[in-house]
Amino acid sequence: MSRLLAFFILVFVAGCGGHVTPPDRVRLGIASPATTLDPRFATDATSSRVVRLLYRRLVDFDPAGRPVPALAKWEAITPTHYRLRLGREGRVFSDGSRLTAADVKATYASVLDPATASPHRTTLTLIERIRVIDDDTLDFFIDRPDPLFPAYLVLGIVPAHALAGKDALNEQPMGSGPFELEEWRDDGAMLLRARSDGRRVELVPVKDPTVRTLKLLRGEIDLLQNDLPPELYHYLDARGTMRLHRRRGSNFTYLGFNMQDPATSDLRVRQAVAHAIDRTRIIRYVLHGGARRAEALLPPEHWAGNPDLKPIQYDPALARRLLHAAGYSARHPLHLVYKTSTDPFRVRLATIIQHQLKEVGIDTEVRSYDWGTFYGDIKAGRFQMYSLSWVGIRTPDVFRYVFHSTSLPPEGANRGRYASAEVDRLIGQAESAPSLAAQAPLYRRIQQQLHEDLPYVPLWYEDQVVVARASIRGYRLAADGNYDGLIDVRRGRAHQ
Amino acid sequence: MASFLIARLASALVVIFGVVCTVFLLIHLVPGDPVELMLGESAQPADRAALREALGLDRPLPVQLGVYLERLAHLDLGQSLHSQRPVAEVLAARLPATAELAVAALLVAIVTALPLGVLAATHHNGAWDTGAMGFSLLGVSIPNFWMGPLLILVFSIGLGWTPVSGRSGLASLILPALTLGTALAAILARMVRSSLLEVLNEDYIRTARAKGLSPAAVMWRHALRNAWLPVITVLGLQLGALLGGAVVTETVFSWPGVGSLMIEAIQKRDYPVVQGCVLVIAVAYVVVNTLTDLVYGWIDPRIRLGDA
Repeated sequence: MSRLLAFFILVFVAGCGGHVTPPDRVRLGIASPATTLDPRFATDATSSRVVRLLYRRLVDFDPAGRPVPALAKWEAITPTHYRLRLGREGRVFSDGSRLTAADVKATYASVLDPATASPHRTTLTLIERIRVIDDDTLDFFIDRPDPLFPAYLVLGIVPAHALAGKDALNEQPMGSGPFELEEWRDDGAMLLRARSDGRRVELVPVKDPTVRTLKLLRGEIDLLQNDLPPELYHYLDARGTMRLHRRRGSNFTYLGFNMQDPATSDLRVRQAVAHAIDRTRIIRYVLHGGARRAEALLPPEHWAGNPDLKPIQYDPALARRLLHAAGYSARHPLHLVYKTSTDPFRVRLATIIQHQLKEVGIDTEVRSYDWGTFYGDIKAGRFQMYSLSWVGIRTPDVFRYVFHSTSLPPEGANRGRYASAEVDRLIGQAESAPSLAAQAPLYRRIQQQLHEDLPYVPLWYEDQVVVARASIRGYRLAADGNYDGLIDVRRGRAHQ
Repeated sequence: MASFLIARLASALVVIFGVVCTVFLLIHLVPGDPVELMLGESAQPADRAALREALGLDRPLPVQLGVYLERLAHLDLGQSLHSQRPVAEVLAARLPATAELAVAALLVAIVTALPLGVLAATHHNGAWDTGAMGFSLLGVSIPNFWMGPLLILVFSIGLGWTPVSGRSGLASLILPALTLGTALAAILARMVRSSLLEVLNEDYIRTARAKGLSPAAVMWRHALRNAWLPVITVLGLQLGALLGGAVVTETVFSWPGVGSLMIEAIQKRDYPVVQGCVLVIAVAYVVVNTLTDLVYGWIDPRIRLGDA
């Protein structure tokens, strides 16, 4: 027994002594690890963000969501023929070979090949043909005019010679981005090396948000970005030893209705729900001010956003009148089922909304399910009301995908089975407009119509937040929460 | 002994077969489509169908089960639907972490429970007994998701002795092992106490005392040895559970074990990985329980295995 105790004490003492920070490494705590590093398959948030660091893409976006040149500039020779010219920057893959137009063609051809089973294929099926002119120039031919086409060219470019097998590319990514992969451990932790100066950045997955916060406090990680309950930001900020930065985000949280349900198909019911929710109070007290009220899927600063939408006001008296007009009363109350995921924060929000709806006489039952079940129910239309967020929306073609009457799952994401001849017509009209400038007013009208029909109750756009230890310098927070800020991040001298 | 082992092996195979079939059918009945989760909502029906066919998910369920069992007979656990890596490789990467944590937690439990149980039994209804059983009640009552962060606050943030989480050397093992071991220690301490109380009233203990043996000798040579049997039964069951992965503890401490792997796989509907994890857990239970039965014979020579 005493030997066993001595062994334990020895192990304890040997293991103690704190955690030494390697001086060349900045560590970012993340909620979930990447699942793939092959840009043809990356769809989850972490994978997509890491892929941006390892590969370069042809096109990126400005703060208003307009496509801007990244690897290439483009020119519309005809409405269905785009010529792309590759620039000088970012043209060397991590294996030393040069990125050429042939690599661009090979990447897109691979995604378009049904055998690849790439989740990005659907967006790109309008590409009819790709022609390589020379090492720096290539032409894309599309099957119909679409002024948004350049905005679809956001795939990370991989070398043609690396496309033989997807497994190899996933485990040994070979891009021309600012970082290359040095190590990807079984626990999901990832070590990236900056190609410019050899600096290292480590991505450390820590699922539990409280533990992530404690690791930051202890100095085992240097940065945290999003994915924390608001009270933990507040806790870290209040300590005064961390730097907290916020910026306006565009991820849109909403309440969705089933338009084929007898209760929620009634516009008066949807309006009553919209007027019964006090978004201002939720943002102030639950989100600790870390969000702004939303009126539409696209934020007002987006080039196709509508800044003129009249805000939906919190008006419980009006909500009660609307319910009364719809035939509900204290003796015959409205009963709604609200489905959400098992995420504790989402469940808490659902409970608060449940309470606010109760105030106007709506009896709400909150049901939370694991993600697969929840998502399956929503897609199948087995719901009355649910809440979700749209993350990383860049282009207004999302309106066809989400609200067109032909976009019912599995063809699209019109989960509420919304059908409006007017919205269908406006979507068609916008798609055939010759330029983004001509599309913008049409998309604004679509948002106006949706604001009146309320297939969604728009709730808020959540802020992007980063918390860093005082010694961390140079991290720029992106509006969509990507990790591009790691390109310039440095550890200063103030580190303990 | 040989007939006992053969019988246990046969029943173990039946149990594992039953578990594999049941889990296979249950996981496919749970709502949620792996193809949907892999390709996203915007994928075209043709692409979905192609991937479903490539993964063999388009076949009838009994056919899929047959294919799985045939592969299993060749010790092939299949490939992860998401990472495309062999499931055996994925599991092999996670098993050492789980085994390490299970053994460490078990050591914590035994080292804590044994003295507590003995103290409680030898000071029956006294202050030591009340204190030990109070600790035991506390250990059983505190959930791991609360105990873990509490230990982190004290030992990592407050004292700076251990890392907060992750698997980076021996120091990182201490807090997860304490978290996991405390609850087990509490159960074991109670078992040791009640078992000892029973044994301490036996005639042979009185005889040992009458022979003039020291209290320590009576306790260690005679009482504890006979009190071990029920304790070992509980220990066997608990070790099986520990080897199956301690999901909550692994999540809190970002411990890359089988438990957290299974949760990730369930969320992604990665059927082969879920199957692989369940298989590991089932095998762990069966092996540990068989070993427990064998240990009975060693602890108590009166027990003869295989003599029906």
